[in-house]
Amino acid sequence: MNTKITRREAGALVGGALTGAFGPGAARAQGKQILIGGLYPLSGANAQIGVDAKHAYDTALDVINNKHDLDLPLAKTEGLPNLGGAKLAMTFADHQSDPQKGRAEAERLITQDKVVALIGTYQSAVANTASVAAERYSIPFMGADTSSPSLHRRGLKFFFRAAPHDEFFTQTMFDFFDEMKKKGKPIESVALFYEDTIFGTDSSNVQRKLAGEKGIKVAADIKYRSNSPSLTAEVQQLKSANAQVLMPSSYTTDAILLMKTMAELGYKPAAILAQDAGFSEQTLFNAIGAAGEGVMTRSTFSLDLAQKKPSVGKVNELFKARSGKDLNDLTARQFTAAMVMADAINRSKTGEPQAIRDALAATDLPGEQTIMPWRRVKFDETGQNNDCTPVLLQRRGDKYVTVYPAEYAVGEVAWG
Amino acid sequence: MLSAANIAQILMSGLLMGLIYALIAAGLSLIFGLMDVVNFAHGEFLMTAMYATFGLVVLLSLDPLILSPIVAAIMFVVGAFCYRAIIVHAMRARTNVGMVQVFATFGLAITIRGLAQLVFTPDYRSIPKSWLGGQTFSVFGVYMPAPQLAGALASLLAFGALWLLMKRTDFGKALEATREDAGAVGLVGIDRNRVFAMGWGLGAALVGLAGAMLSIFYYIHPDVGGSFALIAYVTVALGGFGSVFGALAAGVIVGIVEAVSATVLQPSMKAIGIYAVYLLVVFLRPRGLFGHL
Amino acid sequence: MASAFESRRRNQLIIAAVVIVVMIALPLGIKDVYVQNILVLTVMYAALSQSWNILSGYCGQISLGHALYFGIGAYASTLLFVKFGVIPWFGMAIGGVFAAMIALIVGWPCFRLGGHYFTIATIVLAEIGLILFLNWDYAGAASGLQIPVSGDSWTTFTFLRSKLPYYYFALGLAAIVWLVTFFIEDSKWGYYWRAVRENTMAAQSLGVQVFRSKMAAAAVSAFFTAIGGSFYAQFVSYIDPDSVMVFQFSLLMALPAVIGGIGTLWGPALGAAILIPFTELTRSYMGGGGKGFDLIFYGAVIMIIALARPEGLLSLVTRTRHAPP
Repeated sequence: MNTKITRREAGALVGGALTGAFGPGAARAQGKQILIGGLYPLSGANAQIGVDAKHAYDTALDVINNKHDLDLPLAKTEGLPNLGGAKLAMTFADHQSDPQKGRAEAERLITQDKVVALIGTYQSAVANTASVAAERYSIPFMGADTSSPSLHRRGLKFFFRAAPHDEFFTQTMFDFFDEMKKKGKPIESVALFYEDTIFGTDSSNVQRKLAGEKGIKVAADIKYRSNSPSLTAEVQQLKSANAQVLMPSSYTTDAILLMKTMAELGYKPAAILAQDAGFSEQTLFNAIGAAGEGVMTRSTFSLDLAQKKPSVGKVNELFKARSGKDLNDLTARQFTAAMVMADAINRSKTGEPQAIRDALAATDLPGEQTIMPWRRVKFDETGQNNDCTPVLLQRRGDKYVTVYPAEYAVGEVAWG
Repeated sequence: MLSAANIAQILMSGLLMGLIYALIAAGLSLIFGLMDVVNFAHGEFLMTAMYATFGLVVLLSLDPLILSPIVAAIMFVVGAFCYRAIIVHAMRARTNVGMVQVFATFGLAITIRGLAQLVFTPDYRSIPKSWLGGQTFSVFGVYMPAPQLAGALASLLAFGALWLLMKRTDFGKALEATREDAGAVGLVGIDRNRVFAMGWGLGAALVGLAGAMLSIFYYIHPDVGGSFALIAYVTVALGGFGSVFGALAAGVIVGIVEAVSATVLQPSMKAIGIYAVYLLVVFLRPRGLFGHL
Repeated sequence: MASAFESRRRNQLIIAAVVIVVMIALPLGIKDVYVQNILVLTVMYAALSQSWNILSGYCGQISLGHALYFGIGAYASTLLFVKFGVIPWFGMAIGGVFAAMIALIVGWPCFRLGGHYFTIATIVLAEIGLILFLNWDYAGAASGLQIPVSGDSWTTFTFLRSKLPYYYFALGLAAIVWLVTFFIEDSKWGYYWRAVRENTMAAQSLGVQVFRSKMAAAAVSAFFTAIGGSFYAQFVSYIDPDSVMVFQFSLLMALPAVIGGIGTLWGPALGAAILIPFTELTRSYMGGGGKGFDLIFYGAVIMIIALARPEGLLSLVTRTRHAPP
């Protein structure tokens, strides 16, 4: 179990008992431990995601609960000022990537641990059931890192997503293609390569649609079984199609295998523009070495934003001290989800779920006060934030460089 | 349209992968033939071997190729230990021996996976630099990646060595005799348990070799065994339980069928091709291609 | 002999009546939703494992592909409900009959296979089913299907917060499967199945219609497994191929019977009562660390039970059964 949190809880309890002597009001404000629940895969094939997510949330809690000189909400104060400095804590549950278990854990966190809000879940399928459970108990649910567009279209009142969904991401890729066309480098054909999951399906559906609208030829449309022992035949087909841009939607395992198999079969497309996921992981580039040079991916986050926003670098240092890794697209979204949630809890003044939900609905956080390249965080009536433009990154040496859109670009795109 | 080079490439890729599948399946087939036990932790043995290779590469900075015999030796010990510690007890069961073995080895599989997660964390690992990694040969436009080529050669060598061992050595004869009649061998002074332990060691060593070769070009992860385990079971059954060399033929068939059906069917349905071939074969020949009746 | 056997059967019924009364009363004292969720799963797996037990325990045909029938049941009722507005009660029955038909169709060639060849064929068939559903766009493919829940309703068998209706349905299913098993045990088919399990050759020479026996067992087993699948779809109100048709489900259906006592009346229920709460609690209270302790613990316990009590935990409470006359 997470001893850190238990100790913190114990501390809060003792604090509550002490202040209790000074009157009920003080007791409620001071001793109140605001607990939110995190739902992540902590065992099984995706366990690493959950482990990294815990570090991201611990970093966010550190920023919120302690004094930091950062231009982020709640950083300069200790705890939640509107709740008498109450500390924010998180407890995590393992959903093992199973929708039924995700729902059971959501219900357990809500009814047993009395969490006031939930954050999760990495997999969209689990977010689906867990957010429905949250809705039934009137508990706000923040989809930190789930990107299926279907999630915010179910009419839920307690579902929020600060980050973009797949349609934004893909839109940005095709906007980029338009821009290249203006520069005299039109994109003639793309190859879609996606896994047989919700993620792969959603991603490829939008890609196919936009390619059709913009008159770009889809030279190959390859759906593959995730975690296959071999991708040789698939890469062979990609090679035969010989599209100008390869657009993979793959998680880390398949991304490693794809890139290695491509090198082995001597296939090198003019450009690779990835739908994040595995391509945002340092692990991939450790595995494939120089073959990663020039690979592009969409992202919600980029480390080189630190040049424009000092808080990015500092938060990254805090995170790296915990995890030994740099922030990436996923962990940055998780950190931001916790910050947005904490900001709403603080503005709710009571820390009650219904008040937090209303505060979330009224959120209007300027982009400068996030570590993301976003204009702001403001939810529409479906709970989706529409001011969160993604960026495109390109691999240079051992890191990613933001190349699109221009307002966040640090380097020029190397193309063709 | 498919050109001749494309078809040649598909067949070559299938053949190379198929030989590697055969090597993975060999140990499973050996153990089954010897004592009628299906090891449901076979995929986890493969995973253990891949982590062993990875760990040794990090510790000793040697190439996985050089380390492969060491990994095989380590896995021999692991296999023999698993027999002595677990399987021997499962064999003693008086009722529903089959299910006990299935679930004892299934429990073992989950435990090994948990241990891997504990020791190595669930992060994806890979061996970034090796002699063969990323190398590839091209003959008439047909690409042959060096790691797969080496894996295929290792597979053929291993089957050759296995053949010599079975036919030419006393140990091989003891294996054969124990397989024929485990009860009677005791009368001629063969220690049944010792032979079984050696058989498990040998089976694990074979998958150890496969793991070392695989780690050159594949990612390493606590759940990596799952992708290969089902293919290994199908390969063994297709070749015929008890026929080690049936596994060789079946591995090649599986590899080629996989490559072809990824082209003919959708890639996401390529496994259906493998499964369909298995079903077709056993419906016509209920003991697989080369199984003992 | 016969009367002793009769009285033993009567005792079984009395035990069953007591158990069912206790199980009906149980949720009255348990208000915690999380615990209720565990109860629902426990009873559901008791029913599923008993269904599996009919084919694999009594008739000796070890299937590790029952996820196929589970998935067919889940998809049949959900598709009928979502696409055609057929209420799940009909959908369930249709799914059950459909699964039984599939079991007969695949049983036709598969029952000629022996031992491990049969088991691997069942795994392979379930995998084919999984891949087909992952690629079937009409059924939502990988995105799955969402069952709309507007409020508490027995007609559409959907409930917002309450777990109790699901619990009582699962309990009813478990009781029916138990009763079916109970009556079959003493019937002509029961004898045939046990004969097939013990010695197929001998059974054949004694005039047992081996093939038809296996087919009957497969159909009954698949029917109830599919009902369980429909139930699960209603319970979770969202299904996708990866959550209802994976190999893991096939194992989870077999495991309680193996742990409790394969081919026994009470084995699956006992196994489920131990295994399911154990699985859920290790995940919830040990799984949060991401270190794999829950897996190590879970795997070790399965291994130890399989090795220490090969005949199942039920043998701890019952004396060695003398074979019925």
